[in-house]
Amino acid sequence: MGNQKVNNIKLGAFVLSGLVLMIFAFFIIGRNNNIFGNDFKLKVRFSNLNGLTKGNNVLFSGLQAGTVKEIELINDSTIEVTMQINSKVKSFINKNAVAAVGTEGLMGNKVVNISPVKGMSQKVAEGDLLQAKNMANMDEIIEKLAQTNNNVASISEVLKGTVLRIDSSAILKLINDESIGISLKSSLENIYKMTSNANKMTIGLNHLVNDIKKGKGTAGLLLTDTLVAGTLKDAVVQIRAASVNANSMTLQLNKMVKDLSHDLSNGKGPINTLLKDSLMAKNISFTMENLQKGTDGFNQNMEALKHNFLFRGYFRKLERQKKEQQAELLKATQQR
Amino acid sequence: MSLVIRFKNFLDETGNIARFTGRFFSVGIKPRYEHKEFFNQCYIIGYRSLPLVGLTAFIMGLVLTMQLRPSLVDYGVESQLPVMVGLAIVREIGPVITALIFAGKIGSSIGAELGSMKVTEQIDAMTVSGIKPFKYLVATRVLATTLMLPLLTILGDAISLFGAYLGVNIRSVTSFDLFFLQVFKSLDFSDVLPAITKTLFFGFAVGIVGCYKGFNSTKGTQGVGISANSAVVLSSVLIFIIDLLAVQITELLGLN
Amino acid sequence: METATKEQVIVIKDLVKAFGDKKILDGFNLTVEKGSNVVILGKSGSGKSVLIKCIIGLLQSDSGSIHVFKENISQMTEDELDQARSKIGFLFQSNALYDSMTIRENLEFPLIRHWVDISKEEVERLVNEALENVDLLHTLDMMPSELSGGMLKRVALARTMILRPEVILYDEPTTGLDPVTSREIENLILKLQKKNHTSSIIISHDMNCVKNTADLVVLLLEGKCYIKGTYEELKQSTDENIKQFFE
Repeated sequence: MGNQKVNNIKLGAFVLSGLVLMIFAFFIIGRNNNIFGNDFKLKVRFSNLNGLTKGNNVLFSGLQAGTVKEIELINDSTIEVTMQINSKVKSFINKNAVAAVGTEGLMGNKVVNISPVKGMSQKVAEGDLLQAKNMANMDEIIEKLAQTNNNVASISEVLKGTVLRIDSSAILKLINDESIGISLKSSLENIYKMTSNANKMTIGLNHLVNDIKKGKGTAGLLLTDTLVAGTLKDAVVQIRAASVNANSMTLQLNKMVKDLSHDLSNGKGPINTLLKDSLMAKNISFTMENLQKGTDGFNQNMEALKHNFLFRGYFRKLERQKKEQQAELLKATQQR
Repeated sequence: MSLVIRFKNFLDETGNIARFTGRFFSVGIKPRYEHKEFFNQCYIIGYRSLPLVGLTAFIMGLVLTMQLRPSLVDYGVESQLPVMVGLAIVREIGPVITALIFAGKIGSSIGAELGSMKVTEQIDAMTVSGIKPFKYLVATRVLATTLMLPLLTILGDAISLFGAYLGVNIRSVTSFDLFFLQVFKSLDFSDVLPAITKTLFFGFAVGIVGCYKGFNSTKGTQGVGISANSAVVLSSVLIFIIDLLAVQITELLGLN
Repeated sequence: METATKEQVIVIKDLVKAFGDKKILDGFNLTVEKGSNVVILGKSGSGKSVLIKCIIGLLQSDSGSIHVFKENISQMTEDELDQARSKIGFLFQSNALYDSMTIRENLEFPLIRHWVDISKEEVERLVNEALENVDLLHTLDMMPSELSGGMLKRVALARTMILRPEVILYDEPTTGLDPVTSREIENLILKLQKKNHTSSIIISHDMNCVKNTADLVVLLLEGKCYIKGTYEELKQSTDENIKQFFE
């Protein structure tokens, strides 16, 4: 019989825990639904509910304050919503508060938002009609967003045109001082190389001419022809002149660049410098072009000389020597 | 031909079960009541089933949560996981799984117990001893299953929700308070009441079918096995049929 | 016969019982007198068990009448039947002890059911006495599954006797037991019968049992009372249907 009693106790505990859980669950759900407790009612009239239904939550400043109790169609543009409001929240709602239909989250349930309005007012009483604020619903928001988008698109179109126009104007090019500086520098370098080349060439030619005069080398035999000697002399003279020209040009350029960088470093700013005189920019351009042309012509002369069969052997020898030197250099580095 | 016979047998069986059920309401409800046996059966049917129901409910809640998560993550509403799981458990999974486990454990044990009592003449012995076997054996068991299954379901739901809470916490973190709030915020009386009400019918079906099969067990140990087996099969099918009816009725009543 | 003037305890007239199309009992007649042991012989399936189940009201007869202590069993309501049953004991072939209860509870069960106003002390005393009669007092708090076949039969006998029935129906009391245990059971039946002055109907096809217990032997054949007489009378018979039981 003792066993029976233990079993009964266990059964009692089992049944009791089940019932307690059930009552607890009912109580919590009931509290959510405001079935228990002394709540009171507020009303509000909307023209559009946007899908608000019975049982939806009512929020006061975002705080859970009650539920929608009843929805009644009054006429074709007015719907009266009766809300059951928690008595704890009741004393904080003023008569001038506004109610609006909103949404929980982006896609959630509909809610009624009651928000306080600044200014003194009496507290609400049972059955009061609140002011309604018809809020934009999701569709409207999306519609507006689309409109905004279109506006942005057309604005950006206009902006694009403007930018293109500015871009294509000469001023913008000149504002960019850095690129000019770089091209100036590279031009100067070219000139340097050119002049040194010319120098080497002249020295080489001098050697060659002396050799020929002494009757050395294979070419010597051929140089009995005075015509050939004449052209050679001309060529050498021309080269000298070109290198002299180039030298003076380099000097001029150097001065100009110095001026430019002086201005820059004096803090007058690139724009200032370049806008000082657009003519100057043009001048620089011209000078550079000329320089290019000049060097081109010189190069052409040199090329022609190289290809002349008479000097071919000499240049080959030069090349071979260069190669040997390189090979030795390579060997030395490898040994090391 | 054999199909016709089978159909006739099926109708015969259905009629017999209906008659048996009618007998429960005409005989079983009248005094005298077998209090002691009723409480004893409540203990066996309710309390003793709790560990099994609890285990399955716990696993169900955990697994359901983990299975639902990926699709919710796909839709970007992972935060709604407690709501989804809570609704699924309370409305459908909890009652049906508990009832099926219950049918497996209790339906078969009632079928086998009454079957073997029938076969070994214990039921006749009761009659001879001045006990109404229908009252003593059937009414107590049917009443016990009818009342215990809802309790088991409630406890199972609670355990299942706890499993779901752990399931949510495996991959992400939520506090118990938040989980609890989310679940109960989504629940309404229209979710809980029909679910609990239908378990009453599940329990009744399990009890009636188990008792009927046991009470009409044929001779021999094989007969006992058959009654136990067919009690489980029939009551499981009945649970689903009742579930189908329940959803239709709640729909009709506008409680959904 | 010398017992002819004695009180008639059970009177069965033209009893018919059919299952479907098959008539198991077809116009069976029997009278049992007070203090006598009637053994009903018959092959398996001849309707012996059906007969005694009809007597105790477990089965409803189709026609005919069964009077137990001058009351018609076949026309009783459930409550009246319960009342009548308290005077009839029934020993089941398979003992029918409740598996889920201890021996004590098994014995208490019919007591507290039939005698609602009985005191706890009285129940205790009766249970102990009944178990003492079958020498099994030590099994009081055991479960039926812990006992051997012979012990179970004795417990079942104790349970049958506990209500002090005036008529006891035995359904094959020695079937499935070894000869030694069978003898013990038979002796127990006779001992208890002498002590309580009961009448009984014994169903058996164990000829030793018949020989030891029967005052009157009835052969049940094709649903009818084929022949009745003492053991010795039947043993002398040349009828083929009777002879096969004595071989």
